[in-house]
Amino acid sequence: MTTLRRLIDKRVLFFGGKGGVGKTTCASAMALAASQAGKRVLLVSTDPAHSTSDIFERPIGPEPVELLPNLQGLEIDGAFESQRYVANVKEHIKGLFGPHILKESYRQIDLAASMPGAEEMALFDRIGALIRDEDDRFDLIIFDTAPTGHTLRLIRMPELMEAWIRALSRSRHAMLGIEQDEATDPVMLSLGQRLEHLREFRARLLSPRRCAFVLVMVAERLPIEETARAIEQLQEAGVTIGGLVVNRILPATSPDPFLRARHDQEQIYLDEIDRRFTSHLKVRVPQLASDVHGVPTLEHLAGVLTTEKALSS
Amino acid sequence: MSIGRNIRDFFHGAAYGRYERELRLQAAELNDLFLLLCYMEIVGLPNPATLYLLDVYPYLLEQFHLWHRRMGMDRSPLGNLPCC
Repeated sequence: MTTLRRLIDKRVLFFGGKGGVGKTTCASAMALAASQAGKRVLLVSTDPAHSTSDIFERPIGPEPVELLPNLQGLEIDGAFESQRYVANVKEHIKGLFGPHILKESYRQIDLAASMPGAEEMALFDRIGALIRDEDDRFDLIIFDTAPTGHTLRLIRMPELMEAWIRALSRSRHAMLGIEQDEATDPVMLSLGQRLEHLREFRARLLSPRRCAFVLVMVAERLPIEETARAIEQLQEAGVTIGGLVVNRILPATSPDPFLRARHDQEQIYLDEIDRRFTSHLKVRVPQLASDVHGVPTLEHLAGVLTTEKALSS
Repeated sequence: MSIGRNIRDFFHGAAYGRYERELRLQAAELNDLFLLLCYMEIVGLPNPATLYLLDVYPYLLEQFHLWHRRMGMDRSPLGNLPCC
C-alpha cells in the first residue's frame, strides 16, 4: 500500500520531521483529504513558528476556527496557554481560601508560571487535554508538530510527568500515613487526578488503533538520518508509525544537466530509503511546479497522499 | 466526658504514648521532603511538574510557615517565596 488513506480512520495523527521538509503542507493536505472524506477534522499546529495560517491564507488563533466545511484549525501558543492555565488555577482556588492566603498563593503561582519551561508545559497540557477529552465535535485531530527533537520530547512527557507525580504522591502518602486521612487530603486528591489524566493521555497516545505518527522527509542525507533516529525513538516510546512521506521528488526526465544530476543523486537516496525503512508504509510526493498555499494546490497534494495512483515505490 | 472514652484514651496513651514523639518527628521530616519536592523551582532545581502543583500551593502555605518556624526562622528565608 502506498497511500495514507487508511490513516483517516484514526482519531489522532501526528506529522513530524526535520525542519523545512513540508510537515505543515502534508498535515494540511491530509486534514483536507479527511474532511472531504466526511470526517470532522481539527488541524492543530504546535510549532511555535506557526505556518498553518499561511497555507490556508487566513488568521488562525489559540481557539479553533472554521477553515473549510468539516475542517477547523487551531494554533497552540505556549504563552497564551500558560496564562490561561494560571487564570484557571486562580479561578479554581478563589472560593476555597481566605484573602490572605489567596494573596500569597497568587504571588507564588505567578512566580512559578514565569519559570523557564512553564510555557512548554502548558503547551503539553493543552495537547493532552485535546487528546484525552475526545471533543465530540471532531472525528480526527491532526497535529502539525514542531521539528523532530521538540516533538519527541513532548511524546515522552506523559511518561516523565507520571513518574514525577507518582513520586510526589508517594511522598505525600508516607506523610499522611502518620498524621491524616488521605482520602480527604486535597493535595492527594489533586495529585491523584493529575495522575489519572496523564495515564489516560498516555494510553491514547500509545493505542495503535487510535493514534499514529507520520514522518515527513525529503530524499537527502540529513533528513534520512533524522527520520531513522525518530523512528527508533518513537518505537522505543511505543508510538505507532503510520507511514513515511518522501516529499518533493524531482521529475525523472529533464533536459537540464543540473536537474539530471540532482535526480541521479536522489535515486540513490530513494533506494536507501526503501532499503532502510522496509517495514514502513512510504508515500512519494513529486515536486510540484509551484509551492503550496491556498486550497486548490492543497487539494492536489491531498489527492497524491490518499490515492493509490501516487508515484509508487 | 464518658468513662468509656477515658478508658480508651488511657490505653491508647499507654500503648502509643512513647512512640508519638518519634512519629511526629518522622511526619515532620516527610513533610519537609514533600515541600522540597513541590518548591524545587524556587530553590533552583528544575521540576517538570511545577505547573501541575500550582493548585496545591495554597494548601502548602501553612505547612511552609510551620517549617520555617520549626527551623528557628521567624520569617521566610526564601526571598522569592514570601510568607508571614
